[in-house]
Amino acid sequence: MHQLTRRQLLAAAGGAATFILVGCGDDGDDSGGQDLDSKRVGAMENYGVGDTFKATEELTFSIAILDNAAYPYKADWQFFQELTKRTNVKFDPTVIPGSDYNQKRSVMIAAGNAPWIIPKTYHPSEEEYIAGGAILPVSDYVHLMPHFQDKVKKWNLQPDIDSQLKQADGKYYLLPGLHEDAWLDYSLAIRTDILSQLNLQVPTTWDELTNVLRAMKPLAGPYPFSDRWSKQPEGPGANALLAHMSDAYDTRAGWDWQPYHWDSNAGKFVFPGATDNYRKILEYLNALVNEKLMDPESFTQEDDLARQKFATGKSFVISCNAQTVVNELRKDLTERNPKATVVKIPRLMGPMGATKRQSRLENGVMISKKALDSKNFVAMMQFVDWLWYSDEGQMLAKWGVEGQTYTGSVEDDTFKLAPDVDWAGLNPSGTKQLNVDYGFFNGVFAYGGSTKFLNTQFTEEEKKFQEVMAQRQLRPAEPAHPLTPEEREQTTLWATALKDHVNQQSLRFILGQRPLSEWDAYVQELKGKNMDQLMEVHNKAYERFKKEHG
Amino acid sequence: MSIVAKTSRPSRIRPTRGYRVFQAVNGVVLTGVVVVTLLPFVNIIARSFSSEGPIRAGEVSLWPKGFNLTTYKRVLTDSLFWTNYRNTVIYTVVATAIAMVLTTCYAYVLSKKHLKGRTALIGIAVFTMFFNGGLIPNYVLVNALGMRNTIWAIVVPNAISVFNLLVMKAFFESLPQELEEAAAVDGMNTYRTFLWIVLPLSKAVLATMVLFYSVSFWNSWFSAFLYMDKQNLFPVTVYLRNMIVSATTGSDVSSSSDFALQVGANIRAVTVVLTALPIMLVYPFIQRYFVSGVMLGAVKG
Repeated sequence: MHQLTRRQLLAAAGGAATFILVGCGDDGDDSGGQDLDSKRVGAMENYGVGDTFKATEELTFSIAILDNAAYPYKADWQFFQELTKRTNVKFDPTVIPGSDYNQKRSVMIAAGNAPWIIPKTYHPSEEEYIAGGAILPVSDYVHLMPHFQDKVKKWNLQPDIDSQLKQADGKYYLLPGLHEDAWLDYSLAIRTDILSQLNLQVPTTWDELTNVLRAMKPLAGPYPFSDRWSKQPEGPGANALLAHMSDAYDTRAGWDWQPYHWDSNAGKFVFPGATDNYRKILEYLNALVNEKLMDPESFTQEDDLARQKFATGKSFVISCNAQTVVNELRKDLTERNPKATVVKIPRLMGPMGATKRQSRLENGVMISKKALDSKNFVAMMQFVDWLWYSDEGQMLAKWGVEGQTYTGSVEDDTFKLAPDVDWAGLNPSGTKQLNVDYGFFNGVFAYGGSTKFLNTQFTEEEKKFQEVMAQRQLRPAEPAHPLTPEEREQTTLWATALKDHVNQQSLRFILGQRPLSEWDAYVQELKGKNMDQLMEVHNKAYERFKKEHG
Repeated sequence: MSIVAKTSRPSRIRPTRGYRVFQAVNGVVLTGVVVVTLLPFVNIIARSFSSEGPIRAGEVSLWPKGFNLTTYKRVLTDSLFWTNYRNTVIYTVVATAIAMVLTTCYAYVLSKKHLKGRTALIGIAVFTMFFNGGLIPNYVLVNALGMRNTIWAIVVPNAISVFNLLVMKAFFESLPQELEEAAAVDGMNTYRTFLWIVLPLSKAVLATMVLFYSVSFWNSWFSAFLYMDKQNLFPVTVYLRNMIVSATTGSDVSSSSDFALQVGANIRAVTVVLTALPIMLVYPFIQRYFVSGVMLGAVKG
């Protein structure tokens, strides 16, 4: 028998309360795409791809704005002025400190007080609001958004959206940021001066890395590889490294962990922590630790300690991203040893060869259902479409106004920041900050876009990395299998217990505290924690969705 | 020297050897405790004036290394910081005033054993110690009262702390009843008795409560964060909290300049110096009331 848990009851009560509070004005607008004629005030008659949205009368839309202390919100930013000039739209902002954005968003939505436009929402956090009924199923209204549809079609993103965002009702509730190509950032940083001293090439596979580490061993003190990012969840430690490896080995681990993984050979979802590939990762790392090539503290130490070991020449390999390699690793190193050189190497390849896995969807925008009651609803959807999804809107949000903050164009590679404007050190002599002083390149409005567009923000060094990564083939997204709210509740409980066990035991396997010969016993333990039941729910959801919406 | 000292104070009782040993040990131990207590503060002050490199390398202990004022400049030159600091002062003063009036009146009433319905009144207060409506109902309530984006959202909902109320009630109960009876015989009514007899005798507990309330309002950030939608209404705690999170997570790709790295390295330390020190300076002035205030009412009879 299915018994209601207390949490479920609470959730139901909360949901019901929210519905009462929020739903008063709604008259069952659930049949998407119904009569919108009365909601076209201010909207453009013929609005299509390539058009600049301009409201036919002055409009004001309420919006939640995440205030990032690195560039504190200013109401008189040129971005807002230019936006109003071009579109005839003003914002009525709720400014929320970025430190606690999600919490305030939750309270406002639950209290029926949410702004119409709620950006900066990371999937799957929109799911918690669906039952409350306060969030618009935007998939019913994307026909009002020509630029969004155009990019989805041009870049073949519909399968990504289906598999990642669609809910059990076949709708999605979040307008995601769209990328033309997957953008991978995290990789390994390696001391290239040590490589040339040893006459070695930059490794390209995990096996080559082992050989490089063996050669480096005599120079290191005592471990050539000491890793970081162990303190941020979800994994057992060294979580960037595990995510990186789980891509190469086609499973899920570290930051990439999720409690299910699509096995394309078997055509079903499997539990990643029990797969052979996961075992291979553990074997690999266990071998490194055994040979004393990898610091066992890699999985537990603070980031700063790992950084210090790298800075002082005790270790030569560490996980990094585009920012940390420049700002932390190279900076720390060259202060002490001007001859030292460090690069971020292309992601290492494993059994999956020259392929990659990465979502092409970004955080995105939720629309409050209240907006549907407004006579300006269509205008608002057109506005959102223009600002977040048109080339012109993206250019304005990211780089500003041509001739003032930048010159040239992205298409013919002539793009350049204005000489007095800087962003993230692209133009170090610039005296003004693109985001602080003008309000452009604001994380609330600027993300996604074509690969060319994205490349404008990279340094030459990072562009080279991206060129190599662009040649790796993107593996297809896993198929859609949205869960019902009850299933989600149940699977979350199972998955949490399983994840804890996987993390604990992974660490023991890697550090050699538990021999890998006990792998089968470990898999049995996972079964004892409802692994099979969990996979059954996911696979059933997959079959169900295929039948109903596939 | 020692002879002079001996002859000049012949009448002094010479402490026993054991007592002198005790005093010496006492002095050493207590100095140790003071040092251990102060060290973190000294370290924080040193970090707040140091530059990024030594901080990251863990080289800063008691004295600043690579003297650097970048983070102070970043914070102190931001007009929003001062606006928010002013808000904090206003919120703290107004909230403490309201809280003191309400708590004192409520506590005095509750201290009167002959009051009808006293148990129910206490029950109402104590109930809220264990149960509350929760985040969202509170938000809906404050919103419906039209208090969002006003000072009232911060100073009214938290005006009575039940813990403080009970401490105060116990204090008033411990005052000799005869005083009030005498005042009544001389013709004072309840209000005058309260204002002219009870309050002047309660300076200790009043000072303590002012301190409790003002420190908690000074440090609070959540209600302001929840009910305020504009930056210029935030208290400084929200401002600094946002800065700390953004500077130390460094999630934003643009936060990569030397400037941002420096800020990220010691923003916490600077924050402590800027916000904790002013309120810490209040302690010495109130401290003499402090211990007696908290202890009063703790033991009856």
